[in-house]
Amino acid sequence: MIEVEHVSKSFAAKVDGKRARVTAVEDVSFVASDGRITALLGPNGAGKTTTLRIIGTLVRADRGQARVGGVDVQTDTHGVRAQLGVLSDARGLYLRLTARENIEYYAQLRRVPAQAARRRLAMMAELLDMGALLERRVEGFSTGERLKVALSRALIHDPPHLILDEPTNGLDVVSTRALRRLLQHQRNAGKCIVISSHIMQEVEQLADEIVIVARGRTVAHGSAQSIRDESGTASLEDAFVKLAYGTEPVTL
Amino acid sequence: MSTVAVVFRKELKDALRDRRTWLIVLVTSILVGPLTLILLSKFISGLEEDAAKREVYVANASAAPTLVNFLQRAGATVKDAPGDYEAQIKSGRLQNAVIVVPANFEARLEAGETIRLQVMFDETATRAQPATRATLATVRGLTRELGLQRLLTRGVSPQVMAPLDIEEVNLASSQARGAQLLFLIPWLALLGSVAGAISVAIDVTAGERERGSLEPLLMNPISTAALVLGKWSVVALCSATVVLLTLIGFKAAMQFIRSENLSALMQFGLDEFALFVVMLLPFSAMIASLNMLAATYGRSHKEAQTYATYLAMLVNFAPIVPLFISIRDAAWQLFVPAMAQQSVMMRALRGETVSAVDILLPGAIALAITALALAGQAVLLRNERIIFSR
Repeated sequence: MIEVEHVSKSFAAKVDGKRARVTAVEDVSFVASDGRITALLGPNGAGKTTTLRIIGTLVRADRGQARVGGVDVQTDTHGVRAQLGVLSDARGLYLRLTARENIEYYAQLRRVPAQAARRRLAMMAELLDMGALLERRVEGFSTGERLKVALSRALIHDPPHLILDEPTNGLDVVSTRALRRLLQHQRNAGKCIVISSHIMQEVEQLADEIVIVARGRTVAHGSAQSIRDESGTASLEDAFVKLAYGTEPVTL
Repeated sequence: MSTVAVVFRKELKDALRDRRTWLIVLVTSILVGPLTLILLSKFISGLEEDAAKREVYVANASAAPTLVNFLQRAGATVKDAPGDYEAQIKSGRLQNAVIVVPANFEARLEAGETIRLQVMFDETATRAQPATRATLATVRGLTRELGLQRLLTRGVSPQVMAPLDIEEVNLASSQARGAQLLFLIPWLALLGSVAGAISVAIDVTAGERERGSLEPLLMNPISTAALVLGKWSVVALCSATVVLLTLIGFKAAMQFIRSENLSALMQFGLDEFALFVVMLLPFSAMIASLNMLAATYGRSHKEAQTYATYLAMLVNFAPIVPLFISIRDAAWQLFVPAMAQQSVMMRALRGETVSAVDILLPGAIALAITALALAGQAVLLRNERIIFSR
């Protein structure tokens, strides 16, 4: 279970050449349960990535708390990281290494026994249909192929919690389906999965729970159905526009 | 396997598959050492030949048989200067000095007048300096001889003209004279340590961030100190390898060239080789850590390269400073990295004694800087502004 309570974060930045503080996250709260896929849905710049980085311990929240499997992200970063598999916004691979070497590097860093790592990699290669890629150097891989490697790398230690930041960015239909298959498989295995996205259809198809984030705040939380009912709109898209932008949907 | 070992193995594999790594190793080991020594030995033997040949160029020689006779008695070969000698000296085509004889030389000599004799040369023509100095000395010898003759004909004792009898005693051993040029050898080895470190250091730091693999890497439950240490081991290894290959290149070339001139001028036996290694390994460790620190701080590959260039310039420059301000082995030099290594290695080449302090102090300073730079980097990698490149 991942719990986020009233986190906020601002950064020092230059705005029009002047030093200023830019608020990335104002007040975000949600709970993502085990065996569910929870989607953070929000427009670009809503604070989704920063929220995920706070959960992932790479960014410290100014205020608020976050726990992963009951472990506080501020006090025990290694304890949190051990339970997390993260596919971040940056998903760079080592181009001169083969796909297998890329993945095994992380397995070794996380002290996954070699035998277990091999078994797990074989399983994921099967699910993601990437068996033919494993012994090739990553240089020259397509976006979809790279995503598969990055995803396998993030999950090689069989973490109970998964965080995926905009996982379908730049993917073709076939790769998106492979990803969806893997996430559903993981969900059914009881994992707690949090993804972020700004694509409505994707969220509707994949997520059990939806958290709408806008201007750094949580504005709605529930299933697609309950969010539609709550906002009194016919589609999730209309609900999203109403909740995220605070305007009534324009009916054409 | 410890985290440090895992990181080390991965980064080593990655570096060895990088063509740039091999290019640098090959260029430094094959080209720098042997090529420098070959050029150096040619330069030195040419220098000695020039001085030994004692060719003196005289313009309008036929007008001054007395001068020509004197020069020949002094053991020089007199050659007619080419017609455009002035232009040739200026352009560097003619390296030797030219004595310009005025038309009525003999007549004025007869009359006991003072004759203006020009000696033209280019002071910056370093190769010909010994020959030029010899020419000037010979001409002064002639004027002294002629002066004495004139005094004698007037019945004055020659001692009147010589209140001082100057005897030049050059204490620079022949080894020391050659070693002035040999600063190139330790200097190139120092540069080798930078050349070996730069591209790998940037690749494992700024490169890691630029290709987007830093953030996922830091998501692993590992300490940044272990990560930094693993990466540094590879960078330091690359730097040390290039240094070793450069030194082996020098040693091999020495064997191969077998120039008497060169071996008379410098001592580079196994003892010196070992001393160079001991001096340079801590230096490589330091250069590796500083390059990584700079590249971790740099926002991008490009910025990292800029910082690395500054660092390389410092290493280029520090050892040459004593040459310019002509200080010789002041104690404080031992505290300045690069300058310290250079001056101690030079002393060894010159055949002077090197004490334990000379070896341990610069080494300890280099290792202390290494530790600080690595610790600083481990702290930087916990800073979110560094991770997400601000």
